[in-house]
Amino acid sequence: MKMHTEWTDKLSDYLDDELEAAERAAVDAHLRECADCSAVLNDLRRVIALAQSAAVDARPPQADLWTGVAGRIDRIRQPRRVSLTVTQLAAAAVLVAAVSGGLAWQFAPPFGGQGLRSETSATDDVVRALPGSPERGTREGRSADGGAAAGAESGVAIVGVSLADDQYDAAVADLERALNQGRGKLDKATIAVVEQNLQTIDQAIAQAREALASDPANSYLSGHLVEARRRKLDLLRRATALTDMD
Amino acid sequence: MALSGDTAIRSGMNEDVALAAAGDASAFERVYRTHVAKIHSLTRRMLGSHEADEVTQDIFVRTWQKLGQFRGDSAFSTWLHRLAVNVVIERRRSFAIQRERMTDDPAALDFVTVAPARADLTVDFEQAIELLPPGAREIFVLHDVEGYKHREIAVMLHITSGTSKRQLHRARMLMRKHLDGL
Repeated sequence: MKMHTEWTDKLSDYLDDELEAAERAAVDAHLRECADCSAVLNDLRRVIALAQSAAVDARPPQADLWTGVAGRIDRIRQPRRVSLTVTQLAAAAVLVAAVSGGLAWQFAPPFGGQGLRSETSATDDVVRALPGSPERGTREGRSADGGAAAGAESGVAIVGVSLADDQYDAAVADLERALNQGRGKLDKATIAVVEQNLQTIDQAIAQAREALASDPANSYLSGHLVEARRRKLDLLRRATALTDMD
Repeated sequence: MALSGDTAIRSGMNEDVALAAAGDASAFERVYRTHVAKIHSLTRRMLGSHEADEVTQDIFVRTWQKLGQFRGDSAFSTWLHRLAVNVVIERRRSFAIQRERMTDDPAALDFVTVAPARADLTVDFEQAIELLPPGAREIFVLHDVEGYKHREIAVMLHITSGTSKRQLHRARMLMRKHLDGL
């Protein structure tokens, strides 16, 4: 088949009646004499006919897509709400028990107030130098026991717990604010659990502070206070994250 | 709610559409099931099978969100179809496919697999559509399958009518080449 592209290029416009009258007449004349171009024209007619029949031959998707659509619509229709599973609630309860139980255990140490060493005491920042101390304001590389020992040796005493107070307080305040703003997205049961856990942790923190006030050198209390504050931060982060879930 | 039930009936709006516009999800499911085959076919032909499911869902979610804007001035199917085309075009733009769609690739159909002894012609036709170069495919589907005019396609795709005509002819010639092999 010999292709006359100068003519075949016009065939779609010819079929779609997009040519000017004179140009259409010229194409007509060529088609009367050229079997090859007439064959191309017939092929294009066939393509168009198939396309038109495809228009009424709509095939549904193989998978049912409604579930996905309905899920997304549901999220649009209702304010986002998050429910905790029983497992998640249990995990939260365990967290609270661990914090409060650990602190209770620490509040009654069996060894003259010294207690057992905790492997996880994260007390880099529990040591605060006394006024006038050359180490005032430094918090680096100091373990709880090391801090206490160093305090005894260098005149630095443990006078309280600071988990980088300014930063910690700011972080807690930010998370509490975010949680308050997003609490409408949580269901009541979840809010109740979170608030109860926070209350318990706050009580533990307050008790630890009180205990440390009378026994400031107790590194275990310091460590657990740090741990309780860390857990509060963690719980707030998790609860806030729940409000951000789709 | 876009229209009350009475108004919907007077305007010829489908009752399910009116209920869905009022927030009735069950009615919207019926609307979905009535139209999903046509919408899915449109997305499959214009974007390919791999994106059709996801974009079809996007279209119906968008439909749900915009139902309040449907006033019944045209048939719902027409309104939905136009919305679907817009979503498809947005999708293509978002993936920066637009830039590539006018790429000259006359050999595209060389990759079409040889048809089985007597496969269903429609299936082969559908496969051939998917194998068209993106720009040519888009215009072929809009013009020859969906019935849009070149001037409408030009507005939708931000191209000239001349470009639309050239791409359509290119697509038809590629389809012809494939169908010749049957």
